[in-house]
Amino acid sequence: MTRARAFTAALFALVVVALVVAPVAGAEPLRLRANALATAESPAGLMTLEASGQGRPWLAAEALVWMGAEPDLDGNALVVALVARDPDRRAQARVGRFVASPGAVRPTHIDGASGRAALPWGDVHAEAFGGVPVLSGAGGRAYSWIAGGRVSRSLGRWGSAGVGYMQRRERGRLYDEELALDAGGAATSDLDLAVRGAYDLSTPGISEARGLAAWRRGDYRVSGFAIHRSPSRLLPATSLFSVLGDAPSQRVGGEVSWRAAPRLDVVGVAAGSYVARELGADLELRGTLRLDPRGRGAVSLGLRRQNARIADYTGLRATGRFPVHPKFWLTSELEVAVPDESRGRGRVWPWGLVALRWDPDSPWQAAIAVESSASPQHRARADALLRVSRAWEEP
Amino acid sequence: MKRAIIAALVVVVVAAACARILGFDDKPERPFPHRAHVLEGVSCVTCHDGIQDTTDEGPLNLPTTEDCVSCHEDPHDPRACGNCHGDPGKVATAAADRENLRFSHRDHLSVVQGNCVRCHVGVGASDDELRAPMSACLRCHDHDREFRDRDCDACHQELETEGTRPQSHLVHGDDFVRDHGTQAASSEQVCATCHTETFCAECHGADGAVPALPATLAFDRPTGMNLHRAGFMARHAEEARGDPGLCSSCHTSPESFCLDCHVDSGVAGGPGSAVSPHPPDWVGPAGSQNQHGRAARLDPASCASCHGGAGEALCVECHQVGGIGGNPHPPGYSSSRELHELPCRLCHTGEL
Repeated sequence: MTRARAFTAALFALVVVALVVAPVAGAEPLRLRANALATAESPAGLMTLEASGQGRPWLAAEALVWMGAEPDLDGNALVVALVARDPDRRAQARVGRFVASPGAVRPTHIDGASGRAALPWGDVHAEAFGGVPVLSGAGGRAYSWIAGGRVSRSLGRWGSAGVGYMQRRERGRLYDEELALDAGGAATSDLDLAVRGAYDLSTPGISEARGLAAWRRGDYRVSGFAIHRSPSRLLPATSLFSVLGDAPSQRVGGEVSWRAAPRLDVVGVAAGSYVARELGADLELRGTLRLDPRGRGAVSLGLRRQNARIADYTGLRATGRFPVHPKFWLTSELEVAVPDESRGRGRVWPWGLVALRWDPDSPWQAAIAVESSASPQHRARADALLRVSRAWEEP
Repeated sequence: MKRAIIAALVVVVVAAACARILGFDDKPERPFPHRAHVLEGVSCVTCHDGIQDTTDEGPLNLPTTEDCVSCHEDPHDPRACGNCHGDPGKVATAAADRENLRFSHRDHLSVVQGNCVRCHVGVGASDDELRAPMSACLRCHDHDREFRDRDCDACHQELETEGTRPQSHLVHGDDFVRDHGTQAASSEQVCATCHTETFCAECHGADGAVPALPATLAFDRPTGMNLHRAGFMARHAEEARGDPGLCSSCHTSPESFCLDCHVDSGVAGGPGSAVSPHPPDWVGPAGSQNQHGRAARLDPASCASCHGGAGEALCVECHQVGGIGGNPHPPGYSSSRELHELPCRLCHTGEL
């Protein structure tokens, strides 16, 4: 057993103890859920186990474990975390395996600890995290450790703003170092604003900056977004490809959602991109029609066109969800993508799925499906899927 | 004339059908007239008998047919009144509220002196909105501390199960995948009010290399929000080229994440493989097309997805100082790193 596995196993045991032994009267119930997925193609099977509970008012725990995704992987834990907080929720500590994402610092899956506390002056909060980045199941770089933190301040009832910092090191060598800023909130009752940015300190320059504004009133919701991203700075600073300099990509766009009728929603998205002095465009229009007042049944149709650097394609997507019985749903999904340049990868890439879901008013759920597609990889492919789920709640 | 009449009839029929399909005709045929009863001065507890003793558990105290016929002594139909005059949606909402909210009608009715409309403000205006809005709670209860500390447990037992979404919430629209990171950066605690750690890890776990995408597990929910649904695998190269850096913003270990699949599926070169995914004019002498340099500048993460880590040696063969590949740095390039550090020392071997 590797050191990381042993650590995970020990933490998992802690969580089990916290969940099973610690509960007291009046605490939140212990929740467990298991999903088993089987596919005719390899990987042939997957089981996920999810547990959460709050044994004491000040102690909560959760875990998500999967097993048997690929022949050479026997299982792993995505989340094994214990969270303790003071009664007034002014401070919180977390230990275990979790995703650390303080502010605009990029989310990182770590084995470690984090803490957050409200400082005694003003509406200022401080948070810090540290640990060992979790390697993906497929391998990847072994960052020895990562640490960072964030200080934020509430801006009255409007929102909050913060500054974060993160660095990763491998055997003492600096891998990444990032400074991040974020701000966001509700400017008015109708308008939300949010911005975030990350600055690469190891090779100075902006790694990523994003802005978002959304306005909603009645049946309309209009949002605008702008994204500046430097792919070379998203790589580790020790990567040879980081020396190629900064060739950022920029993307600006907007989205309009309109409840055109009580059961009909229409969404339009338009975005323009600028990459290496080349302009691109991305357009999408889709509509969703609910088949009954509560939306148990629905059909949708969408059309997309992408024009961008040897990646032009047109796509059509249709979905359907039909309650055929109080306990059974029939769902279907169809997608057709047509690349402008096939380059030997096929002229049309269709994909379709038909599924039947059994969803009685009980802890059990099940679904079966048949999926078929053609892609650059497969001239024709078919697969069958089966998922069985069970939920428990105690007490 | 005859054609015009037929055409007009067709238009009327189609319009009527469309109106029904689009939901303009969704209300129950005879919704229960709450407003009319309020205006008549009928006390709420006359029909909702027992509500004055109800805490956060127990029956919903919805009126029965017997309650109705105690006043309407000669009903027009012998069947249960709720069959036509009840709204299943509103009943379901009331049941969900009873299950998920900690609220005691018993404790509140004495405070409002039996005037239910002080909280159920919509009842006096129309029959559409019967539920008391949260703003009605805030008229008496100052929840500043709870808002500040995201402590909703006093009333909302389990927000994620309850499924209540704040009216002004940005991130659960159709643009969730694109915009949630921007919004969550400054509002992580708001997200954590409802979502647990598992929600984030399902996508961000292990550099985005979770064993089964949420879309795969939820294959029977086609309307779910997800970046990787349906035929994504077929068009993922298009998506990646169209938005450089998009993939590596989540898949932060692209050097293995991409290569493993590409080698296994035989769509890319690997050790001992004769297959190359690059066009013939990808690498060449000075003055030739030599496309790889420009492609690498546009999206270096894409190159690193196969040639990262140990694969960087392939680049160094030509681009080391004094090599035939020339200087890969753009004009004006500078770095704070020392020559003995990675990656500088890979090429600057003679300058150490």
